[in-house]
Amino acid sequence: MILGVDVGGTFTDAVLLADGELRTAKVPTAERQEESVVAAARAVGAERVERFTHGTTVATNALLERRGARTALVTTGGFEHVLHLRRQTRAHLYRLCAAHPEPLVPLDRCVGVDERLGPGGVIRPLDLASLPQLDAEAVAVCLLFSFRDPSHERAVAAEVRRRLPHAHVVASHEVAPEFREYERASTAAADAYLGPVVARYLGALAAACRGAGLPEPLVLRSSGGVATLDEVAAHPATALVSGPAGGAVGAALLARAAGFPRAISLDMGGTSTDVCLVEDGRAGRAAERDVGGFPIRLPTVDIETVGAGGGSVVWRDAGGALRVGPESAGAWPGPACYGRGGERPTVTDANLLLGRLPQRLAGGLELDRAAAERAFAGADPADAVAAVNAEMLRALRLVSVERGHDPREFALVAFGGAGPLHACELADELEVRTVLVPAAAGVLSALGLVATEQRRDHVRSYLVPLREAGRLPEEGEADLRYRGQAFELAVPLGPRLEERFHRAHEERYGYADRGREVELVAVRTADVVAGPELTLPAASPAEVAGPAVLELDGATAWIPPGWAGVRDGTGTWTLTREP
Amino acid sequence: MTIELQVLASALRAVAEEMGAVLIRSAFSANIKERRDCSAAIFDEEGRTVAQAEHIPVHLGAMPEAVAAVAAHDPAPGEAWIVNDPYTGGTHLPDVTLVTRTELGFAATRAHHADVGGAEPGSMPARSTRLDEEGVVIPPTRLDAAAVDALVARMRNPEERRGDLRAQLAAQRLGERRIAELCARRGRPRVAAAMRELQAYSERRVRAGIAALPDGRYEAADVLEAPEGDLEVRVAVTVRGDELELDFAGTSPQHEGNLNCPLAVTRSACLFVVRCLTDPDVPASGGASAPVTIRAPEGSLVNARPPAAVAGGNVETSGRIVDCLFRAFGRAVEVPAQGQGTMNNVTLGNDGFTYYETIGGGQGACPHADGPSGVHVTMSNTLNTPVEALELAYPLRVERYALRLGSGGSGRTRGGDGVVRELRVLEPCRASVIAERRAHAPQGERGGAAGAPGRTLLNGEELPAKATFDLAAGDVLRIETPGGGGFGVSGARGGGGRARPPAGG
Repeated sequence: MILGVDVGGTFTDAVLLADGELRTAKVPTAERQEESVVAAARAVGAERVERFTHGTTVATNALLERRGARTALVTTGGFEHVLHLRRQTRAHLYRLCAAHPEPLVPLDRCVGVDERLGPGGVIRPLDLASLPQLDAEAVAVCLLFSFRDPSHERAVAAEVRRRLPHAHVVASHEVAPEFREYERASTAAADAYLGPVVARYLGALAAACRGAGLPEPLVLRSSGGVATLDEVAAHPATALVSGPAGGAVGAALLARAAGFPRAISLDMGGTSTDVCLVEDGRAGRAAERDVGGFPIRLPTVDIETVGAGGGSVVWRDAGGALRVGPESAGAWPGPACYGRGGERPTVTDANLLLGRLPQRLAGGLELDRAAAERAFAGADPADAVAAVNAEMLRALRLVSVERGHDPREFALVAFGGAGPLHACELADELEVRTVLVPAAAGVLSALGLVATEQRRDHVRSYLVPLREAGRLPEEGEADLRYRGQAFELAVPLGPRLEERFHRAHEERYGYADRGREVELVAVRTADVVAGPELTLPAASPAEVAGPAVLELDGATAWIPPGWAGVRDGTGTWTLTREP
Repeated sequence: MTIELQVLASALRAVAEEMGAVLIRSAFSANIKERRDCSAAIFDEEGRTVAQAEHIPVHLGAMPEAVAAVAAHDPAPGEAWIVNDPYTGGTHLPDVTLVTRTELGFAATRAHHADVGGAEPGSMPARSTRLDEEGVVIPPTRLDAAAVDALVARMRNPEERRGDLRAQLAAQRLGERRIAELCARRGRPRVAAAMRELQAYSERRVRAGIAALPDGRYEAADVLEAPEGDLEVRVAVTVRGDELELDFAGTSPQHEGNLNCPLAVTRSACLFVVRCLTDPDVPASGGASAPVTIRAPEGSLVNARPPAAVAGGNVETSGRIVDCLFRAFGRAVEVPAQGQGTMNNVTLGNDGFTYYETIGGGQGACPHADGPSGVHVTMSNTLNTPVEALELAYPLRVERYALRLGSGGSGRTRGGDGVVRELRVLEPCRASVIAERRAHAPQGERGGAAGAPGRTLLNGEELPAKATFDLAAGDVLRIETPGGGGFGVSGARGGGGRARPPAGG
């Protein structure tokens, strides 16, 4: 038996795969996530589980809710304020006092140590005696140029560990050995800050699993690969995008199984929507992501998030334009049509009024059409759907067109509670011909978990001309740029690397400059142990022609006129526009 | 607005943003790629802004002039045109603008190039008196391979210039392609209608914001620290219903230095303040400026005539215009206290390199929030250059980069703190510093205390606000940027502001 449990903000989903049979369950997420995990496992009837994988929002929530440890930062003397200076930009161009989130380490716990490395080596030797006393549960160490020479940073971290044996200590070169001190310090600070909280959770989770007769779970990291509890506890910032990563991995898996190695995932939930490009059957990856206003320089599934989903409130601004979100009706009171006192119109209300939702949801909730009508007060619900679709389109274009990919060569994988309601219209806008909707559209993230590979990422900083880089690994990615540029393009390692960089640059930016020197910035590799082969349970074939509403497990699909679909042997609907 | 036009408008905004992203990601000089001192925009057939990727406010209102200057030459589709002449569409010489025709209107990109020739490396001389000392003056010119060769040959680091122009050109081509795709898919008339509607939409929102301001006439004045003595910026603001008139009568005449502004820069500063006070989220289309009338006497600091030098006008006078306007509006409504009021422009260079940076400081306190520390406060929002990126690329070492704790003014809410940045040069080179608020501190609002004025020190010796000088290997240039003013009387605070941490570091 293989078990996947994905903890979300409102629900915890479990997927159990046993003897070709797929069982799913949804339980409300409790205050203590480990209880929800065990409850969901029980609900799906898990026993004698061989492999157990888990997606968690514990790290993300602790960061966003500022529940991390009392953290200190040690930097090169003279650069103690690196987290507070950020990159000098203000939070909003025209709201002059709009504030960035407070740094995770307050000024009085940011201290310097006497030492200095430069591009050419040691400028001032390390004086460990200059390190002040620290009062902290967690400590991040980020010294200038440690990505080139980690010796000073290593020595400082060892000294801190000696002085504070119970503190969680992170040296920046361990997590993000790459140049640009602010982004590296931000990553190390978040990793230290989250350490104690995430370790406590993972400890409680391990105990709860033992108590329930479950094996110790593997935890999904932002990179889309799973790792052991100990590995994640050592560097919890690697799990900051654990939740959304499961959906992207699930979408990649489903698209590959349906014969579409190139796809775009569309995971539309109640308050937000995640989209991700899938190439060669794998979710795209990025080297950095902003989480809660902090740059996190760690490998992550390359997801774009839009602050609009099914529960998003529809409103009209001072210029008369119809807007959707970011405010959401949430789970309570929820959309007006839930009949729990919500009075403002939402995307879900619009879908109901347009006849795209059944009178009664799969969970048994009766929808109140009159309440939805009152909320819209005569406004056209089709306009609301068009407005939210415009938001989604921006994200879909960003991951495809703006990264040099033609969306017409991709299938759209729609899931989450609301994704399949909007997918066909979005496909029309992008001229995408195929929309895939999984039978388990409501729990695809958990399904993705059961099949994830085990993965350990490595990055090595180079900053040398590519010609002088010497022998490179055969698998992985190289971050390359023209000497003098600041942004790199990731090119898969292998023969004719330089020429493939020129081509990638041309594809992305419209020109290549074969006369310019190509610089190797970093090489990213990974130790990967493949996940289990997944055989989706058999389903009976079926067909549908639009206009039609399809009720799925935890979601509803809208098939507009002109679209038709067939269900394959694994329950996946392939929807296409009729010629 | 109909939903179809709204969807198209969103697509048009995406075109400008994508152009901006391509420019930044494929550029070569630190000033564009790390600091993002650039903008990209698309325009309608009449040359009005439709949408702009916003990185730098000073580019906001100034780009249409460049498009108008090029449009007068009736550019053919496929041609790229270049301009930087402040008196025909530019702002100051390092801001180089490319303009191309699209299927429907124009696309333009503007980037601050690290050097455009002239007497001093970096083309930001502190003591220039005529425009032609500041660099190569480019009137609207068709940009072909020969023109690129001829232009970059007159600038320092020609290969870097060529790379940056190429990045701009890539963004232009992308804009053309995207507009053509939109027209093919949606039909030209519909895209044109969406462009018109975007103008009208911004105008409605800004008018609604102006109507909320109390009618009346409000005046203010402030000063600039020119080498020969203080210069004055004066403004009278008239709010009448949903329209505004901003009159700069009484402002000092243009001077022998380079604090002069072409009208385009003054217009940008005015639109910046209007946007802050009316509707900070309004799309940056030309319609936003329709309810605003600007009167700037010709031959004054805020509407200079050739051949006046302008290097400092764009970066420093623009900020003072903002300070002055806020102070005038402050007679009618609560406005933020003054921020650092300078960009602390530092240019270093020799035959081997040119490096330009601007340094953030304290933002003035707002009525209900402390001013942020270590940021650009008005017409700029450039990023810093990371210490590691800077030292890998230039013969420079950063000795210290820290908040200047305690430099923000006290008050019910506090002004933000300035910054201390020390640069050691490792080779002999020339340096220019253009700064302000060295003698006159940023003022508080409604009883808040002033921020600390800034200081520029060479090996510990204080320098004037504007200085060009030689540096020997090992010399240390230290810039202490001003703090922002406070808002309201201290002690009367209701717990809205943050506690001040102990000074350290």
